[in-house]
Amino acid sequence: MTNRILDLSNVTMKFGGVTALNNVNFHVNEGEIAALIGPNGAGKTTVFNVITGVYTPTEGDIKFKDQSIVGMKRHHVTKLGIARTFQNIRLFGESTALENVMTAADVHNKVGVIGSIFGTPRSRREEARSKEKAMELLEFIGISKRSGQLAKNLPYGDQRRLEIARALATNPGLLLLDEPAAGFNPSEKKALAETIRKIRDAGYTVLLIEHDMSLVMGVSDRVSVLDFGTKIADDVPAKVQNDPRVIEAYLGAPVDAS
Amino acid sequence: MDFGLLFSEFPSLTFDGIALGAIYALISLGYTLVYGVLRLINFAHSEVFMIGTFAALMASSNIMGVKIEDDPLSGGKLILTIVVCLVVAMLTSGIVAVLVEIVAYRRLRKRGATKLATLISAIGVSITLVEAFRIMTDSLPREFPRFFEKSLVAEIAGAQIRNDKLLVIFAAGLMMFVLDRFISKTRIGKGIRAVSQDEQTSVLMGININRVVTVTFLMGGLMAGAAAFFYVLVYENTSFRVGFFLGISAFTAAVLGGIGNIRGALVGGFALGLLEVYGSVLLGTAWKHVIAFTILVLVLLLKPTGLLGESIQQARV
Amino acid sequence: MINLRDAGATWWENASKLKRRSLVVSLVVFIYALPFLNNPLINTPGSMFESVLFYPIGMFVLLSLGLNIVVGKSGLLDLGFVAFFAIGAYTMGVLGTRTNLNFWEILPIAMGLAMLSGVLLGAPALRLRGDYLAIVTLGFGEIVRIVAVNEEFIGGARGIAGIPTPPDLFGMKFEILNPKPYYWLLVTMTLLVYWAVRRMAVRRPGRAWDAIRQDDDVAQLMGVPTFKYKVWAFVLGAAVGGAGGCLYASQILSIVPDQFSLNVSILVLACVVFGGIGNPFGVMVGAAILAYLPERIRFLTQPRQLVFGIVLVLIMNLRPDGLLPRKKREKFESEMK
Ligand SMILES: Nc1ncnc2c1ncn2[C@@H]1O[C@H](COP(=O)(O)OP(=O)(O)OP(=O)(O)O)[C@@H](O)[C@H]1O
Ligand SMILES: [Mg+2]
Repeated sequence: MTNRILDLSNVTMKFGGVTALNNVNFHVNEGEIAALIGPNGAGKTTVFNVITGVYTPTEGDIKFKDQSIVGMKRHHVTKLGIARTFQNIRLFGESTALENVMTAADVHNKVGVIGSIFGTPRSRREEARSKEKAMELLEFIGISKRSGQLAKNLPYGDQRRLEIARALATNPGLLLLDEPAAGFNPSEKKALAETIRKIRDAGYTVLLIEHDMSLVMGVSDRVSVLDFGTKIADDVPAKVQNDPRVIEAYLGAPVDAS
Repeated sequence: MDFGLLFSEFPSLTFDGIALGAIYALISLGYTLVYGVLRLINFAHSEVFMIGTFAALMASSNIMGVKIEDDPLSGGKLILTIVVCLVVAMLTSGIVAVLVEIVAYRRLRKRGATKLATLISAIGVSITLVEAFRIMTDSLPREFPRFFEKSLVAEIAGAQIRNDKLLVIFAAGLMMFVLDRFISKTRIGKGIRAVSQDEQTSVLMGININRVVTVTFLMGGLMAGAAAFFYVLVYENTSFRVGFFLGISAFTAAVLGGIGNIRGALVGGFALGLLEVYGSVLLGTAWKHVIAFTILVLVLLLKPTGLLGESIQQARV
Repeated sequence: MINLRDAGATWWENASKLKRRSLVVSLVVFIYALPFLNNPLINTPGSMFESVLFYPIGMFVLLSLGLNIVVGKSGLLDLGFVAFFAIGAYTMGVLGTRTNLNFWEILPIAMGLAMLSGVLLGAPALRLRGDYLAIVTLGFGEIVRIVAVNEEFIGGARGIAGIPTPPDLFGMKFEILNPKPYYWLLVTMTLLVYWAVRRMAVRRPGRAWDAIRQDDDVAQLMGVPTFKYKVWAFVLGAAVGGAGGCLYASQILSIVPDQFSLNVSILVLACVVFGGIGNPFGVMVGAAILAYLPERIRFLTQPRQLVFGIVLVLIMNLRPDGLLPRKKREKFESEMK
């Protein structure tokens, strides 16, 4: 029996008149790479937003490790073990790459303001640990050379990679990636697929939003499809690819199946 | 707390509150318009108002030749004097507001400077204007002549209706009506609304932001000028300091109604005028600003977008 | 225009430890020695130089450093900073005249009360969006002043007179006619605050504030307890304001509500932005200049505030990020060990 790390039941999200998510049931199993696909405006990013507490769903429940996280403060959700990247890169541009990652690594630190002023032993220990972890992650993601540069001055691809490193720094049980390959060339996409697998092999669970079908089909264990806020398919990649409803949803929208 | 007085005088107090609220509403329109378009607090707006009061004073003494010790005017001369003073105050404030935009905002806006830098620049303009008028007036308040005998013209439902305040309420209502038509009917008015709602899309749609900004400041200035004339008409004095408290109150009114929202400024202005008048009776005039702020904080905590909701889009992640 | 900040920072980075140390030491000595450098080149005609060094110059440097934690570090626009200064001063005034407590005993109480009011104001206000915070803090500043005017227990509009001076320290007498000890005490307090601010900046609180200032939503999503850090910024700023107020009251010996008007908040904010918001060193330099300028040009008795206003506009238009802007120096790999 696989273990559900994340479970959305009957989640509906309305913005005024727009129903972005309509009674969505959706789950992610522990240790897998799950993908969430769908045409533009289908509601994929909204799924991330309700999971991470950006929006409170109009209806429905979201469980992470069997605990309901609806209405929980955003930083608590993160601390509990869900971290994400953003479709439109949202780094702390005026901070260095290293600081970006350290900020996220701080989530499990206990030192407060006073401890930091006086440089208590714990403060020193935790500072060192955050820094070490951040450097490791930059190394892992392949941008350790850039650690001292301001995030806004990094090349585009490195900014996307830095977003992943920053999210990983919170030790997430579940990592949410929102179109991490957007704007990548084929060789970069291949490297990214490799990175995602490595992340999974390191024990993380990954939920991926992606428009590039070959990347999705190549890397994921399971694919769910959203269309107009409704889930229309949920299966292994090979079956989803041939599902007539999925093909129909993408009709008119170019299917990138190269 | 004098509840007895509040109840016995309630109708008259309400009338006074509406008159005060009309002045607040006119000033707060300037804050709200500029905020809607630039997302910035126009810190110098209180000085736009202050200069309007002096313009009205100049117009009455230098153009119309009215002196403090003169007998009240009447007939055609009275109407002409009122119109001339009102127009001069409005035009002066309108021009000053446009100049404020050019001096304090334009360059910084083009460079994409931070909100704070722009705020300080506006504060600098505000200090400069206050100081200029302090020096010119020798730090003394100035008296404004009494144009006509102030008398009770009617009693409606127990409210004592004073002629000057009645005039203010009517004239201010007319101004607001015209402004509302202007914003909703004319091309440039629609441009202001479009930019308030979504600047990027408006630019894509070919709206000339600079023109919209200039017209926005001009409108805010004209309204503040009108408020300035009404203020001196009722209170019969002004000083270089006059903008300060009226500015704070008017800004509070704008936030109370939902900043960026034009009708909100009106609702907020009247609400604040009434609250201050009632509050002054209950707790003494010294506390009226405290009351205003306390209510503002409560409203913001319960309904963070103000009474009518601001015109700002929901933030997206 | 040469870039002062970059030139300075480059020199600093390339300088040897000895050079840096000697620069810091000589700077600190110079600052402590300023009251003895009373000469026509730099002094302030029309008022006593030592006393101007204490107030406004030194005091505004301290207050700006405090406000910079709030506005510069965490990006919260506080227009009512004078409230904390006033609370500190009134604590000194009331306790100093009505109890036997001396300055050193009152100082922590003043700071504590200022911090407490920071929490009471911050807890609701910091949940509001930026511009609303500005107006609510502005209102708070005014309320504190209005309460002071109307509350007879704390002297009403007449204020409080006869506030005691601090007890002697290292044989120095604190007297109204001798502001030097006050100035030295103030400089010491300022250096302590500067030290604390620098420590925080490179550690967890600094990173949290940087994140909050740049993107509050994302900061939360990366696990930063943003509300908690905003309240902390507020409270630390309040503590500095309260300490400043307490010392101020013990120097001028009588306080009236008018000394705590909105103008003070605005001036302190202007100092912060003028110097280079977010850069504590720049903020101190900016505050020193802005506080000194009107005193130095006192011969222009009438228009000095006018000149001040014009200078503000000019500087903001020419250097919108302030004199010495906050700028992270980037390190490229080749430079890293
Ligand atoms: N804050 C919001 N306010 C109003 N409508 C919103 C908001 N967020 C999302 N929507 C709407 O919800 C729908 C789903 O948006 P969402 O961003 O989730 O789509 P998506 O599947 O991520 O699309 P894309 O592939 O383009 O990223 C869209 O119609 C969008 O306009
Ligand atoms: Mg999306």
